[in-house]
Formats: sequence, C-alpha cells, structure tokens
Amino acid sequence: MQTAMAKGSIFVARSLPDALAALDDRGPTGAVFAGGTWIMRAPIRHEPLAANYVAIGKIPELTAVTITSETIEIGAAVTHAALAAALDGLPEFAVLTMAAGRAANPAIRSAATIGGNMATTQFAAADCVPALLCLDAEVELGSPEGCERMPLVRFLAIRSTLAPGRLLTRIIVQRKGRNSAHARLPLRKAGDYPVAIVSLAISCDAAGRVATARVAIGSVEPIARRWERLEAALIGHPIEPERLAQLAREFADDFTGRDSVEVPAWYRLSVLPSLVRRAATAVLAGA
Amino acid sequence: MGLSLSINGDRATPSADPITPLVDVLREELHLTGVKPVCREGFCGACMVLVDGTPTLSCLTPLALVENCEIRTAEGLSTNGVLTPVQAALETADAVQCGMCFPGMVVSLTHVLATTPSATRDDIRAALTGNICRCTGYERIVEAALTVVRK
Repeated sequence: MQTAMAKGSIFVARSLPDALAALDDRGPTGAVFAGGTWIMRAPIRHEPLAANYVAIGKIPELTAVTITSETIEIGAAVTHAALAAALDGLPEFAVLTMAAGRAANPAIRSAATIGGNMATTQFAAADCVPALLCLDAEVELGSPEGCERMPLVRFLAIRSTLAPGRLLTRIIVQRKGRNSAHARLPLRKAGDYPVAIVSLAISCDAAGRVATARVAIGSVEPIARRWERLEAALIGHPIEPERLAQLAREFADDFTGRDSVEVPAWYRLSVLPSLVRRAATAVLAGA
Repeated sequence: MGLSLSINGDRATPSADPITPLVDVLREELHLTGVKPVCREGFCGACMVLVDGTPTLSCLTPLALVENCEIRTAEGLSTNGVLTPVQAALETADAVQCGMCFPGMVVSLTHVLATTPSATRDDIRAALTGNICRCTGYERIVEAALTVVRK
C-alpha cells in the first residue's frame, strides 16, 4: 500500500529566531514539524498535510535538557530517548523517565519529541502529558514578540486555538523533592498505545504522611488531566496502595472513558484502580 | 536540483518532494527494495534504516530531514558480498521466514549488537519491540543474535 503524500514544503530551521520568523512568515499556512511521528501519519488518518512546515528538530537550544539544583528545563525538540537518558538517576523524575523511556518503541522514542507530545491535540495516549501534569510543569511559548510562560494545564486548554506563529519552546519543572511513578497499560507489553496511564507524584512529611499529592490520568479521556478528588483524599494519610486502589474504584465516575477501536470506554475506567495501586507501590519502593 | 543524500556510501539527489517519506524515495527512486512500507505508522519496523547510525523509521521520516545524513539500508550493511556476523548468524539459525520484516530486523539487530556488544536476551528483545514478525519467529531471531554475542 502506498499512501499518497500531498506536496508540501519543509523549512529546516537552524536557530530559534529562524524558526519563529519562518512560522510568522507562513502564517496560517504554516505548521511546526518536530519529530514527525504524528504528522507523517496524516494520510492514514485521511487528514491533509499543512502546506508549509517548519522543522525544529535541528535547533540546538530546543534539543537540550538543562538540569540545575532548582529546575529541569526541557527543549521542545528533545526526543523521548534523549529525555529518558538525561533524567536517568534522578528519582524525583522517575515518572517522566518512565513515560519517556517506555512509550511506543525504540525508533519512535528516538524521533518523537516532548514538544510534539504536548502539542498534538488529537493524541490522547501521550505518556509525557500526565507525567508532566503530576510534576506541575510549566511551558514556554515563543513568538516574534517574545516569550510567555504558563502552566501546562493552561496550555492543554488553549493549544488547539493557538495563533499561527506561536511555538512551544521549553518545558520547565521545579525540583521539589517528590517521589514519583508512572503506571501504564498497553495492550501488548511494549510498543503499543496505553489503554490508561496513571502518573503520581507525592511528597511526605516527617511522619510519612502525604503532604502533597498529584495524580494525573492519561489516555482515558481525550485530554489528560489531574484527578483532584483522589489527590485530596491522599493528604494526611500514609501511602497505602490498597487504600488508593479502593479510592480509585470509588471515584472512577470522575472520568468519562473514550471509546476507540482498541478498547471500549468502560475498560479504560476499569483498569484505573490497578494502575493507581501499581503507581503507589512504585512510589513506596522509590521513597 | 534535489536534496543531497548519502545512501550506503553513495551520493544521491532524489527528485521527490521534501515531505516524501524516505521509504518511498529509497524504494521508488533508488530501487532499494529491502526497506518495506508495511504499516506506515511506525509500529512494525519493516522500513527501519540507520540514519547517522540510529535505527530510524523511514516511513515517518521526510526526505528533507535526512539531507547530508549518512543513511544505511539492509542492502548496505555488508561489504564485498560478505555477510555481516548478524546476517550470517540469522542464516545459520535458519531464522528467516517470509522475509517481510527481515531487513528491518537485521538493521535493528545490527545497531543493538554494535552499541551493546554484550547484549543480554532482554536487551535484544527490548531492541526488537518495534520490529514485528507476523510469522512469530522471534525466538529463533533472538537466539541467532545471542550467538553473535557469545562469539
């Protein structure tokens, strides 16, 4: 089977100002091309390609991960493989290391970018979105007028309506000494989209009780989001995986599962308690 | 004037549009038909090539992004008609079945055994998670790769 690709141009930007100027110049006909693992499948989804792409994968400042004692800053064109390698050995970011290091398959991880994962509106099963939500990530958007920083939650709400010319440039995560874990259920052990994803980040007080909790759920609904009722129920208690799973069962109607050819909506909801238990167990093991 | 590529050590200037998937350029213009366009979604690995030494899905890689990169397909892995150790081990183990997945398998195995010479069974299995064999011949393929490690 050969799937016809419409003709289109790709400008391979070598610097951020070049990319922003090119996107600005192309206006509504332009689009960002990061790893391409979603865009190149447009013909299979019977979607048109953009007329003019601006490729950002060869821009040095967008392909760097900067780790300081206060923050980690991730360029939007950092690949999943590069991110997992950069964060290896940082327990606080186990959730993101696993999200980036276990998604899809090795060749996809070498191409797909963190920015693409954040910005692809239709990709409900993106692993790094819930992982970054539970880490309270912020994102930076660039345009010829300057840059703007906002919480990832806000970006997810507006990403489908961004004006032409704006580019997700960086993801910023504060280091807060949390323990984190990422639990996902693909239909096959590896290489598949996850049915559901639970990302968990917790900090405890001196007595071992939960002081802060973030739980984010991916792939169950069209856009990943935090499970705030479950987060609130964790505060002040020790991390008890069975209790968390029971709470997840009680609160499961907080979500409306999405139907797809892979699995029905109810199944995505039904696996959440097990994934919450696994994530909690992993957090305990890493604490 | 098309983009300039390096493919299996030779220069090429294909005329295809820059958004064209590399797999189509390799097959349709350069007649390197070892690379297979099977799923075109990055799931099956039958179109795997090495780009600057990294296993890359040529179905998801537009021509424009590999300009001046070193591309190596299954046809370009051996030199002077002598099978590479990976190819020889697969032949000895009689691991080839229908052949659809095999060029991609060879490319992925070549990379993992070059970068991890003491690769374990788990390393090899992990490296092949993006290469699907519909004949389900995985065990013989993994065993063949392990014979290369043991030599």
